Amino acid sequence: MALTLACIMILAGAADAKVYLDVYGTTFKKITIGVPEFKGERTDKSTSEMSGVLNRDLDLSGFFITAPASLIDKELLNEGIQKTEVNFNSWRSIGIDLVCKARVQVANGELSLEAFVYDTLDGSMMLAKRYKAKPSEWRRVTHRLADDIIFAATGEKGIMSSRILFTAGRRNLKEVYLSDFDGQNVTRLTNYRSITLSPSLSPNGKYLAYTSYKEGKPNLYVSDFDKKNEIFVDRSEGMKIGTAWMNNSTLVYSHTSGRTSTIYAFDVGSRSKRVLLQRDGILTSPTVAPDGSKLIFVSDMYGTPQIFSKMLPSGEVKRLTYHGNYNSAPSFSPKGDLVAFACKVGGFEVCTMNADGSNQRVLTNDGSVNDSPQFSPCGRYIIYTSMKGGVNKVNVMLFNGENKRTLRFTDFAEEQPKFAP
Amino acid sequence: MKRIALLLVVLSLIFVGCAQKTVQTAPPVSTTGTQDRALSDEERARIAEEELARAERDRLSREQERLAGILKDVYFDFDSYAISGSELPKIEGVSSFMKQDRGIKMVVEGHCDERGTVDYNLALGQKRAEAVKDYLVKMGVESSRVRTISYGKEVPAETGNTEEAWAKNRRAHFKIDQKG
Repeated sequence: MALTLACIMILAGAADAKVYLDVYGTTFKKITIGVPEFKGERTDKSTSEMSGVLNRDLDLSGFFITAPASLIDKELLNEGIQKTEVNFNSWRSIGIDLVCKARVQVANGELSLEAFVYDTLDGSMMLAKRYKAKPSEWRRVTHRLADDIIFAATGEKGIMSSRILFTAGRRNLKEVYLSDFDGQNVTRLTNYRSITLSPSLSPNGKYLAYTSYKEGKPNLYVSDFDKKNEIFVDRSEGMKIGTAWMNNSTLVYSHTSGRTSTIYAFDVGSRSKRVLLQRDGILTSPTVAPDGSKLIFVSDMYGTPQIFSKMLPSGEVKRLTYHGNYNSAPSFSPKGDLVAFACKVGGFEVCTMNADGSNQRVLTNDGSVNDSPQFSPCGRYIIYTSMKGGVNKVNVMLFNGENKRTLRFTDFAEEQPKFAP
Repeated sequence: MKRIALLLVVLSLIFVGCAQKTVQTAPPVSTTGTQDRALSDEERARIAEEELARAERDRLSREQERLAGILKDVYFDFDSYAISGSELPKIEGVSSFMKQDRGIKMVVEGHCDERGTVDYNLALGQKRAEAVKDYLVKMGVESSRVRTISYGKEVPAETGNTEEAWAKNRRAHFKIDQKG
């Protein structure tokens, strides 16, 4: 990435203080944070928008309540950013737990952002950072600050600097896109003027797998970004869908044709495939646990779509879902302990369960079609699609179902989102 | 005058519903013409071309209507690729059509409604298309003359999230295989 972002710790050890939020507990209380408009002699539009972007990021994270601008009076707004200039009693009196003070300067074509986060209870400094970047990269700098504040408060980095892979389009025309999490820098990765589906990036980001109808029928391809060429994975008759990578060079995909369905592991290097499982009827949505120990997939072997697991290489098939007549689209959490999936309970809702099928929870409840849940690389968020007014849009929520937010990338219907590595 | 006579012959041929190949011999007539009669010849040629185009359009739409009467969508229940008894006559109709004209090859498209997950619907559409193909083969159509393609829920026939729209979208659709 071309981003040249210098990040200097002003105070060593400021961030490894106490963890404010244990987000893996059953419940947690959100922290109220005040982010007054950033200081700075430069008042051009982009820099004055930075505090707005930071507020939005902190809200989206699910760990903070952001204080509305109307709550912050002139006196507080006019304070300096140094610890000695902040009246912590006043901030505490309006219910603010943390206050983020920042100054932006642009000099010699370089943007510099100096930011402090104070705990209003005792005036201690929770975070102190300085960032340098090109002025045009002000959004990325702000997202970096948001992720650092989230790290300081929760012990793990946020997702505001991540990128999302998805498909977007309309009837008979669908392409694969990559975008920054905030909807900026939307890049179209395919241009086949056809239906292109189920994109999946290898963990190292070198390969993109997808199913496309560009040759008149659904064939499975892998694009090699380094060599800038395209590899035919499977062009035989039937439906081929690659849903997950086992490692940097092995794609797992399902093939339904004739009486049977087959789950294959395809090695991009040798261009050879081996059978992981073959059955009558439907096998689809195969994905492999992060440690490679087991495969989960969807099968209709008992009449309705249900989720199954199979220890690799040759273990037995075990059924994981029994509740309801439609459980599909499973995906592992990065630690492999949880599986997100879609189930039919009236509408189609996003659920999670333990990898052994226990402890199933329904996380959405809007009665529409919620589909394609995928965990963030940190495991704390689930990205998925939700159909509103007949159009699919990408949503994100905490892994416990809280703090649902809609993300905006294009004007088209968007589907099959994934966090890009 | 010979040319005009020829045009009249061509036109009359169109009106009696001539075969496509006769129609296609007409265009060269319109491209020729002597200098002094150019205008009226061109005019007549243009009219003739329009008539030809209209006749071709009519023929195509009649053909499409005729095909639509034979190639009817086969409908399915939610999350099912079992063909219900009431839908079988549609497939039987297609099989006798294919047996009459052995040159025809068919694509069976499998489609789903908007409910359910993307991946599962892609597989389900394939099974629907295969189920219809299996029955065609059972009725005596050669397997090599039928291809199957699943579109999952990507190409709905009807938009809208009503039970009526969903029912129309859960379908197997027949298309003459143009690739032969």
